[in-house]
Amino acid sequence: MVEFFQTAIIISVLAGMIRIATPLLFAALGELVTERSGVLNLGLEGMLQMGALVGFLVSFQSGNLWVGVLAAGLAGIILGLFMAWMVSTLKLDQVVSGLALNLLSGGITFYWFRVKFSSAGTQMPNIQIFKFGRIPVLSELPYVGEILFSQHWLTYFVFLGAPLVWYFLYKTRIGLQLRSTGENPRAVDMKGLSVTNHQYGALAFGGFMAGLGGSFLTVASAGMFLPEIQAGRGWIAIALVIFGNWVPWRIVVGAIFFGFIEALQLALQAHNVNLPHQLLLALPYILTIIALTAAAGRSREPLHLGFPYKRE
Amino acid sequence: MKLLGYRLEKRVEVSPLWQFLSALLALAIAFAVSAVLIAFAGANVGEAFLAMARGSVGSTSAFAETIVQATPLILTGLAVTVAFRGRLWNIGAEGQFFAGAMAVFWASAILPNLPALAMGMWVFSAAILAGSIWGAIPAFLKARFGSNEVIVTVMMNFIIHFILSYLLSGPWQDPASSFLQTAKFPATANFSRLITGTRIHLGLGIALVTAVVVWFLLWKTTLGYEIRAYGINALASKFKGIPPMRTIILTLAISGAIAGLAGASEVTGLHGRLRLDISTGYGFTGIIVALLGRLHPVGVILAAIVMGALVNGSLAMQITSGVPIAMAFVIRGVVLVALLTVEVLAQYRIRRHIDG
Repeated sequence: MVEFFQTAIIISVLAGMIRIATPLLFAALGELVTERSGVLNLGLEGMLQMGALVGFLVSFQSGNLWVGVLAAGLAGIILGLFMAWMVSTLKLDQVVSGLALNLLSGGITFYWFRVKFSSAGTQMPNIQIFKFGRIPVLSELPYVGEILFSQHWLTYFVFLGAPLVWYFLYKTRIGLQLRSTGENPRAVDMKGLSVTNHQYGALAFGGFMAGLGGSFLTVASAGMFLPEIQAGRGWIAIALVIFGNWVPWRIVVGAIFFGFIEALQLALQAHNVNLPHQLLLALPYILTIIALTAAAGRSREPLHLGFPYKRE
Repeated sequence: MKLLGYRLEKRVEVSPLWQFLSALLALAIAFAVSAVLIAFAGANVGEAFLAMARGSVGSTSAFAETIVQATPLILTGLAVTVAFRGRLWNIGAEGQFFAGAMAVFWASAILPNLPALAMGMWVFSAAILAGSIWGAIPAFLKARFGSNEVIVTVMMNFIIHFILSYLLSGPWQDPASSFLQTAKFPATANFSRLITGTRIHLGLGIALVTAVVVWFLLWKTTLGYEIRAYGINALASKFKGIPPMRTIILTLAISGAIAGLAGASEVTGLHGRLRLDISTGYGFTGIIVALLGRLHPVGVILAAIVMGALVNGSLAMQITSGVPIAMAFVIRGVVLVALLTVEVLAQYRIRRHIDG
């Protein structure tokens, strides 16, 4: 146990924390914007899964990881628009629509993967994942350089994206309109603005972010695709939005915290600490339930979240 | 909306006939989509469909296998029906299924010498209890703290999966094998024979009885009325003096108990032991079965047979035309999306425009 607290291990856990927080933060920031427009997107899990597959497949076939990442973002946008069609145009129940999107997207992903690769033999294809993007000078700093400035470009992108999302939501006109759509769609409608357009836009953004987050799992992490590779991260991201009280910086803190737990869990496993590893694996899911319970009575939930807006 | 002398008018109530027709239409759409999927896999669409039909309903033995596939789906579909009637989104039937199956092993291991009838009652009671506890935890968290039950039930699925994989890799592992599985249950906890020559097992009987019980519960008891009232308007039911906390917990406990029965019926009737792969997502397919079956026990039974035929037929299709069985999962999703969309249409009817 003593050797577990060596500096090198602590640094690798902290670096892992930031890396593992990345896909969660992508999904959660997208979901934040979506929920601010009044739509509860429970299809996030399916979007991550689709992003993971598309990111992998397109990278594999084009030989270019960035093309894969963009394709994953695009796939996410398509799923987001589809969700918008269900909940904003058809005004279907948002919970059932989200579940439907998950099942559909999960099914398509699984089938697509099997059609592509099950006949190709037992060897599962691999891709060479992204190299870490070391920031000049900063990455040379002791400790901090290793933890913060030797990460993937997608990681820098999402952490810089968080303040941008904040700026967009609170400092721009469209951000204000979007938040109003979630709080009081009738008022938005009376002003002659389109509730539907705002929700389509918000879901497209949410899908884009989830697509990128999903692609991170394959092109920056695993290097291969496995069905269920997203392993509940979509649900955890939804919980993070609630736990973060719909405020960007709190969501960032939440994502980092979950990243830490996961990184710690991996380190404990790797160093053969005498605990059943399955119980460590269950930890993030148990924590999600605790976080949700602790978040009870959060005040910033958009007032009209989850209800279709219908003109009377 | 006016168009060429006709207009769309909102129906006051969607009749049972329309509900039935829209379910059929959703299935038809799903079939059309599966033709595209089969072509995508590079197989002959006609041949694949033929293989699917033969494999699911083409012979007595094929149909018997379809019923075997439908059995757990009837139960998980009923479990979801009870919860959704109360607009409580139980996505945790999968985990509750495992809770029930695990209870069977535990119960039969601590009292291995019971005679068959007592053993049956004992293991099924344990499964009901385990499923209801696994369902009641998210219910309590929702009722007491307002935690979103969708997320909590999903998390509970993951948690029980890891608990089971831990137990199967150590404390509960069959000492005579290196697989992640328990030893065989005692012979007295084996209910695999209901109809000889088929794999249809006691679970079918349990499922059908449960369907009657659920119908009775929902439409003939006070609790059932309270569940439905809570589902239609939670606030109004509260003002009528129906305690929400009790309703939430009871509804999800009953839902979990039924899903637990599904798990118990599968392990006692088919597998005879506990493994990680005893479910192919029955809890999730149960959601589609419940919605396709219009949250009614009769509909659930029919929908379960359709989905059972789909899985069973896809298996045959995979063997003869090489289309991956994963297609059944796509169709699952397509059926649900198509159903939701068609439902919107069913809310309207076309009327001749008189005054214009």
